[in-house]
Amino acid sequence: MFVPLRWLRETPRHLLVCERSHVRHERSRHASHVRDHAFNCRVSFLIPDCGIVPEAFKSAVAGLGEYYLVKNLSLHELVTEEFINTFVKKGSCYALTYNTRIDQDNTAALLPTGKLILSVDKDTYEELGLQGHPSRYSGKKPMRYIITLDLSESTFGPDSKKHKRIIWALKEKKPLEFDFLLAWHHTGSEESILMSYFSKNQIQALQPKVTFSTLRNVQCPVLDNNKLKGEPEAACSAQEFFEWLGAILSCVGLENTPSSFLSTYSCPQPSTFVEQVLLCTITGFILPEKIICLLEQICCYFEEPKLAHWISLVVHGFADSPVSWRECEHGFLKGGENLYNLVIFRSLDYWLQMAVGAHDDCP
Amino acid sequence: MAGFVDLNIPHSLEKESLRKLVEAAAHLGYSTVAINYVIDYEEKKKEVVKPISSSELFTSLPMVQGKSKPIKILSRLTLVVSDPSHCNILRATSTNIKFYDIFAVFPKNGKLFHVACTTLDVDLVCINVTEKLPFYIKRPSVNVAIDRGIYFELVYVPAIKDSTMRRYTISNALSLMQICRGKNIVLSSAAEKPLQMRGPYDVANLGWLFGLSESNAKAAVSTNGRAVLLHGEARKTACGVVHTVKKPRTPDEDDSTPATKRPKWHCDE
Amino acid sequence: MIESGDDKGFKPASYERIVLKNASEYYYLKIYLEFQEVGISLNAVEFKQLIISALKRLHGEVGAALPVDVLSYEEKTLLAILRVPITGLVKLWSALTLLDSYQNRKCAFRVIQTSPFLLALAGNSRELVLD
Repeated sequence: MFVPLRWLRETPRHLLVCERSHVRHERSRHASHVRDHAFNCRVSFLIPDCGIVPEAFKSAVAGLGEYYLVKNLSLHELVTEEFINTFVKKGSCYALTYNTRIDQDNTAALLPTGKLILSVDKDTYEELGLQGHPSRYSGKKPMRYIITLDLSESTFGPDSKKHKRIIWALKEKKPLEFDFLLAWHHTGSEESILMSYFSKNQIQALQPKVTFSTLRNVQCPVLDNNKLKGEPEAACSAQEFFEWLGAILSCVGLENTPSSFLSTYSCPQPSTFVEQVLLCTITGFILPEKIICLLEQICCYFEEPKLAHWISLVVHGFADSPVSWRECEHGFLKGGENLYNLVIFRSLDYWLQMAVGAHDDCP
Repeated sequence: MAGFVDLNIPHSLEKESLRKLVEAAAHLGYSTVAINYVIDYEEKKKEVVKPISSSELFTSLPMVQGKSKPIKILSRLTLVVSDPSHCNILRATSTNIKFYDIFAVFPKNGKLFHVACTTLDVDLVCINVTEKLPFYIKRPSVNVAIDRGIYFELVYVPAIKDSTMRRYTISNALSLMQICRGKNIVLSSAAEKPLQMRGPYDVANLGWLFGLSESNAKAAVSTNGRAVLLHGEARKTACGVVHTVKKPRTPDEDDSTPATKRPKWHCDE
Repeated sequence: MIESGDDKGFKPASYERIVLKNASEYYYLKIYLEFQEVGISLNAVEFKQLIISALKRLHGEVGAALPVDVLSYEEKTLLAILRVPITGLVKLWSALTLLDSYQNRKCAFRVIQTSPFLLALAGNSRELVLD
């Protein structure tokens, strides 16, 4: 039966996955979760009871490295033999289309594994003539298709039929042009090789923007590293903490009473007052390898006795990336949520919270 | 999925205000807009004017918010009709009519609604939202329209301007939804001022109020608009208003397809 | 680098995973109020009252009773973050969309971002300008 206003009551789908383990545990998956989340636009960390930025963090943040913005780059440039041999096979190469919207436009992403993911609309898909599959979130009549090309595959040689066909499709059949964010992580030293490789295109080197700030007299929830679900009167749950973090990062007031007119949000209980909290925010195209470095610094921070019970590391992914973790499809219905938070406790136990929106596979 | 579309930017003779509207649409994230020229036969016989071209309006088109491409401006002709003879103009090929990308009709009565759904060569049927629908929407007409790829347009700005119209908008939308079940709906603005225009996600959310599901509501501001454009293009081709350009054969053309299947002529709108 | 994970002689840290599906009780909206004229200011209380009146206008008394929290509000920019029970999202959003004036002055609520996670509002890649 047709119920006109039934949609008013439905809640949009969203997922929050919480994991708990120990950083040094042999089977801990936290590092692989960080590594698998390829496209990150903002990283923030929060250190309670910390007034001065520790030197180790300063240098870790300074060493984040630059990334590049290439304008009007033809997609076929990313599948040429030369590009694959120079970058894809010799390090981790990351590329993501910039100023494209996953729910409206064609989008492409190159993962460090050498997989090139194209998320294209139906028209483009039909014109390209490359094999793909319908997006999981485009309904009964697929309007969006996902094409995955494995550039590191051995059959992807310069003379192979497959390679020729892909080059032909992207170069002549349906030339696609994008602005790309590019970064390359490798062990060598020549930093500007991407810059010189794309010197014919309009390329710009960009530095991540870093801000440090100190928050004073902050009400912090009390956490128990063994209790993700919290315990009444003793510790806050992971979900409450996740909301509180959002409040802190968005400068939301925490001191409200149930009778306040403006807002009734208050810090989850039990809580403690912390005199000062250090907050660092990094914005840019930040590689997972760099986040792993930051994570190492956090673990080292606890090697010496510290006042802080935990440090939180928040990573925001790109809302318009075609993937969230690994090759899990990511979409945008009305929020494009794609983020995670790591809480590292003094004991090096950790909580990992991964949040995705309506058009996402479970991470 | 396609970019966001607003198929109803009312035409005005003041270029500056038209420009402001298009800029506002680009700023809100619409990739395509259609400037709407209305001909109302009940008022007085109006000439079909040649639609304004985007180069007349802008020296450089405004960029769509958050994208690296400019907004696309189309033209649309809406006939307000109460008699089938009013629609003859659609068949005339000699007038300025061939310059329009989209044809829409605004039927004043049930008979014309049926005609528009079943026989008229149009892309859009407008649903009245400013007064109580003077006729019943019948399932057979709507089904034929859906089969023919014709879409129904609901405009939302009257609902912003006035509370009575808001009631009519919602109630007329719901009675349409009961028949078409959320299929083939296009939501557009008909905004006279930039401040009346709303962002595409906001409009999609309004769709829920009209009884559309989450995905149908989003389609009503994106893919359905694209379908209307394609329908318009197809109709033009069928009418014979077609420009044919011989495609130069390139040496590396795929020769594996048999000659009969190879397109010899490339239809260029 | 592998240790057994015990700090003070506790048992090695175990592994636990919980998947919370649609568990958020609230939805969060980042919005701003746009006026045709410049120089109109309203304080936080007036801002909240405007939201309540918008809800009442479209959804009546039941709508006005929807518990909306103005989590943050900046008077200078008219930017705000709202929190609403998840079942009231469509009601609140549509009420904001259909509002057209404040004290006879034309205005429009622009919704910048919505999410079931407050934390997501702190890093919106669509708002970032990297170049």
